[in-house]
Amino acid sequence: MTALVLALAVNGLVWGLIIALIALGLSIIFGLLDIINVAHGDFFMLGTVFVLVLTMSTGSYWLALALVPIIGFAVGLVLERVIIRPTIRQASLTIVTTFGLSMMLQEGVRATYGAQPRRMAPPIEGTIPLFGIDYDVYRIFAAAFAALCLIAFFAFLTRTKLGTWIRAVRHDPETATALGVPVVRICAITFGLGTAMALLGGAIAAPITTVEFRTGVDILPFCFMAVIIGGLGNLQGTVAAAVLLAVLEGVVTSVTDPTIARIASLGLMSVALLVRPHGLFSGATR
Amino acid sequence: MAKRTLKARTPKTTNGTESGSENVGGLTRRSFLSTALAGGAAASGAYVSLARDMSAFAQASGPIVIGHHCELTGGFASWGYWHNKAALAATKMINEGGGIAGRRLELVTEDTESNPAAGARKLRSLIQRNRASFISGSVHSGVMLASIPVTTELKTVYFSTGEATEATGEKGTRYSFRTGTDTYGLAAAGAPWAFENLGKTWTIISPDYAWGHSHYKEHKAVIEKLGGKVYDPIYVPLDAKDLVPYLARIPQDTQVLFSVFFGALSIAFYTQAKSMGLEKTMKMYSVSGTIEAIAPADLKGAAEGVYIVENFPRMLKYKDDAFHKAYNALLGTDDVHAREAGSDKVNAKSHSWQSYENLFALKQAIEASGWKQKSDDKGVIEALEGLKMENSAGFAQGAKVLRKEDHSGMIDCYISRIENDEFHVKKKVTKEEMTALLPPRFDFSKQPL
Repeated sequence: MTALVLALAVNGLVWGLIIALIALGLSIIFGLLDIINVAHGDFFMLGTVFVLVLTMSTGSYWLALALVPIIGFAVGLVLERVIIRPTIRQASLTIVTTFGLSMMLQEGVRATYGAQPRRMAPPIEGTIPLFGIDYDVYRIFAAAFAALCLIAFFAFLTRTKLGTWIRAVRHDPETATALGVPVVRICAITFGLGTAMALLGGAIAAPITTVEFRTGVDILPFCFMAVIIGGLGNLQGTVAAAVLLAVLEGVVTSVTDPTIARIASLGLMSVALLVRPHGLFSGATR
Repeated sequence: MAKRTLKARTPKTTNGTESGSENVGGLTRRSFLSTALAGGAAASGAYVSLARDMSAFAQASGPIVIGHHCELTGGFASWGYWHNKAALAATKMINEGGGIAGRRLELVTEDTESNPAAGARKLRSLIQRNRASFISGSVHSGVMLASIPVTTELKTVYFSTGEATEATGEKGTRYSFRTGTDTYGLAAAGAPWAFENLGKTWTIISPDYAWGHSHYKEHKAVIEKLGGKVYDPIYVPLDAKDLVPYLARIPQDTQVLFSVFFGALSIAFYTQAKSMGLEKTMKMYSVSGTIEAIAPADLKGAAEGVYIVENFPRMLKYKDDAFHKAYNALLGTDDVHAREAGSDKVNAKSHSWQSYENLFALKQAIEASGWKQKSDDKGVIEALEGLKMENSAGFAQGAKVLRKEDHSGMIDCYISRIENDEFHVKKKVTKEEMTALLPPRFDFSKQPL
């Protein structure tokens, strides 16, 4: 039993890191633009579809993995200009807008790519023994790569001029404007980055999960839970919450049924909201 | 008389006229109104009566409307595409052959969205707004089970195509029929053979939903009766993406892993089970639903060696006749992989034939009973109870009987193994064997209509 708990804790960590990448995209979009992006899960789905299509057409998963976030960034820029900018800073309106976008993306993929789910073969084959189970090597790679992407993103935010501008606009857009920061362009870039991260998450997860038009529907609630527990717009908190939730659900699933595991996750969210209503790293409040 | 009575009860005004009345040529305003109302009511009654007669005439002579309750979007969309295609092909064939009892068949399709609530709402629309006289229904067990109370309330014959046994079991009614198999039938068809040939210790992993629960219940009963052991079920949430937490819980000494999934969860299951090497230590056994609308080749080896109970062999050569070949041609699929010509879609073949054949079954029952309109439904229901269908262009899956008592189709089943990305039949279970293995547990034919 201990081995099983440990195996599922490690698996939770692996899955949590991939989810963290996706949830982080959701968090930066909300933190900067006040957009409750209901279509974020569908960006993840687009990532799975694009990586499969590009792998089939180029013959290289690695090339597809490199191209998908670039495509995601471009898609994000276009969507920001056409759909998001007219409703920016109106959180309730963005729910309606992005819900419509979500349906358009799903049905667009269903109409063009088809409804049948598909498998993407992992680019790295093989298993390693892990606490009594044979564990997929690709998952280890996926988690390590997701962790690297997270580190790179935080380095970008703290060590580059563009990253500083993003943080400045997030903190105080009026002052940033007064200081000459191109706020409109920063908003567009941020939305593009958030979208690119979701697509990248999809590209990494595709060989583990399934490629189909509804893949994003199920991943969205988990991402929202991570964003809420981590603190709305709190990036480090979001990553920590995603990993914590996944590990907890994995461990609880090893000893009970999945319904109880999901209740435990929701219970954790409730407790976190009560104890730290502003996020995991914001300090306890009375 | 009416005027006198009215006058007697009406107070007089100070000038002696009736309150609110103006006497013009002996006709008061009040008497005019009452006469007009009486005349209007009589005319309306005549109109309603005429309209009813006209409607009955139109219903008895116009096209026969059959509703198709189909999963065009949502989780079962990849199956729904084929159910829709099969139903449209049957409609075209029936109309080209002279319709049903000389009347054109009009098929009206509603998308259930693979959602029980939406499905139930749209089913009412099919019956009440589109005036569908009969319904060929959903393959989604949740939608199917939500539909039966609606069709029973609206006294409409309903064919389901899903597998949860409750539809022709404890939740079935005189109005619900199923030409295909249910979990009871699939367990009877495949489990004894799998017990003998694959192993005695079973673990069942399935989605946490009606279809999976139903399979667990039926298979557990069969295996335990044969003296085998069945571990506690492992239920996977429908929204799960990562199945490792569930696969890791499978007991190591499991000999047969019976999996029941559909769509995206199937792919996730086969992919992740393969990556964990489960097929090296246990036999993988399943039902056709798990790999419906999916080609093993697209799973890139992940389904190799899996045993599947089919209702309609995917390969022509295992039911090698002209009707099967013509059916494949009609749906535009090849004879080996059931893949659509010019696309990569794969026929959900073990289920979608029901959407095709149900229309022919209704045609047979309507013509046999002399049905003209809704009030003749009793005759259709009685004709369907025990209906024999011959292997033919309309019943390409094969000869079958719609059993009188439990309204269930007794059909041939096939136990196949995936080898080199093809379904190779290892054992055929005939409809006669199925009938012997499946004593009816309910008798709907005694329910009043």
